[in-house]
Amino acid sequence: MSAANPAPSFPIPVPDADTQPFWDGCARGELLIQRCASCGRWLWQPRPICSRCQTPDPPWTRVSGAGTVASWTVIRPPTLAAYSELVPFVVLLVQLDEGVRLLGYLVDERGDLLRTDGVAEGLAMGSRVVLRFHDQAGTILPSWTLAV
Amino acid sequence: MARSAGAVRERQATVVGIHALPYAKNIGMTERNAGARAILAALGDAGLGVADVDGMFRYVWEGTTEMEMARILGVRNLRAFGEVDYGGGAGAPTVALAALAIESGLADVVVCWRARNRSSGGRPWASQYHATGQDQFERPYHIVRPVDGMAFHARHWIHRYGWKPELTGSVAITIREHARRNPMAMMRKPLSMDEYLSARMIADPLRLFDCCLETDAALAMVLTTAERARDLPSCPVYVQGYAMGSGPEMTAMTFFYGDELGATPNRWVAPELWRNTGLSPRDIDVVQFYDAFTFQIPIGFQEYGFCADGEAADYLASGEHPPYNTSGGGLSEAYTHGFNLLVEGVRQVRGTSSDQAPNVRHSMVTSGNVVPTGAIVFSKESW
Repeated sequence: MSAANPAPSFPIPVPDADTQPFWDGCARGELLIQRCASCGRWLWQPRPICSRCQTPDPPWTRVSGAGTVASWTVIRPPTLAAYSELVPFVVLLVQLDEGVRLLGYLVDERGDLLRTDGVAEGLAMGSRVVLRFHDQAGTILPSWTLAV
Repeated sequence: MARSAGAVRERQATVVGIHALPYAKNIGMTERNAGARAILAALGDAGLGVADVDGMFRYVWEGTTEMEMARILGVRNLRAFGEVDYGGGAGAPTVALAALAIESGLADVVVCWRARNRSSGGRPWASQYHATGQDQFERPYHIVRPVDGMAFHARHWIHRYGWKPELTGSVAITIREHARRNPMAMMRKPLSMDEYLSARMIADPLRLFDCCLETDAALAMVLTTAERARDLPSCPVYVQGYAMGSGPEMTAMTFFYGDELGATPNRWVAPELWRNTGLSPRDIDVVQFYDAFTFQIPIGFQEYGFCADGEAADYLASGEHPPYNTSGGGLSEAYTHGFNLLVEGVRQVRGTSSDQAPNVRHSMVTSGNVVPTGAIVFSKESW
């Protein structure tokens, strides 16, 4: 990246030891969520201790990513510069079948960001969604496509 | 501790000075400068001087530390000081810390203030590209502005309660009508339902007039003991009580990872507020709900128990609610992280609001509701 003329950048995750396994999983195409080994509680966002029973080091557990739409918004102008050619697009709040809720883009079957407000796709509260991964300038982000 | 009830009453925290500089799109001076002027004017309103000040509390997001402000003003020694984090959630908690310091005897004359060049100084979210902590799971998807977080809650409430756009439209119009009577308000043009409904979307389902203003502002408040207030010229306004709350699984602005989607920390503040004040919603004569977004008004009436869960639309339509956001709030007077709401709450007890409610005994003010927050009640009579 040239200092004189830097390309517009997306905000990037800055992991630490407690969150790195999540991002490593994304890079491998796996969605990892912590689940307490003692009480079975699913935990989001990442943490070093189970917040229900205080057992340390809840193990990272691969999930399918299947879930339902709990809410969403549509990103429109004005945006940060890197997103200006991508709008409008939808950010979903997805409730996984395990119970935790995560954010992610509404993408197509291949994981590409949809340029939409969700109306044409029939996006609705409670819509079933399927996990995909979206490559945003090298950052692999969990995202979802509507189940057919 | 052997403290008589009388001694406790003598130390009840009492607001004796308030001031707001004229709001502006560009106030033409630093936040430090504007804040210092607001504090001096509030001290003048109280009949006090810098030499009397021995405590200062501020928002963490205030750009000038209380040490820098004390140094500039010439405060000789701060016996009590501190800060409260979390943006607009910090308003009532900051005043609560000031009241605590006074009630406990840590300090006798305490200043709180908020100076923010939020209009001329740019948008804080526009330069944060390295996302740590909770942000790493949100910002890469452009969930960067407060409105982006609020949008998920708003859609959930619409779905859960059947709220129509006309509900939040009527909130925006009601608050605008209050602002039209306030010579200081930034937005004094009438707002029609057609204008509200046809305005552009900012973050679906929030439209332009669901969102607060971007304002340069500087406001201050001075508190002392009830005993000392008796010797001062201004009308004393007593701090009846206050409360704070975070709720479980708190993530600021995106408070939607917990067990109950749609609940805000109000749900946890409300019972504490009613317990600490000995009051109930029926006792509240006028209320200033934190209004960065219109949706915070109906959910506030529900969560503080003015009406039952799910009944806000009918309740607001009935007209039986206390007047709310009587200076125009964050939506039409000025957006100041809620400090204008605190100042207006005091004015309503003094009887000096530009849209004065009748016979105000108890005036309630809340702070931002999808962040850690608090609420406070100002009263006409002392404990």
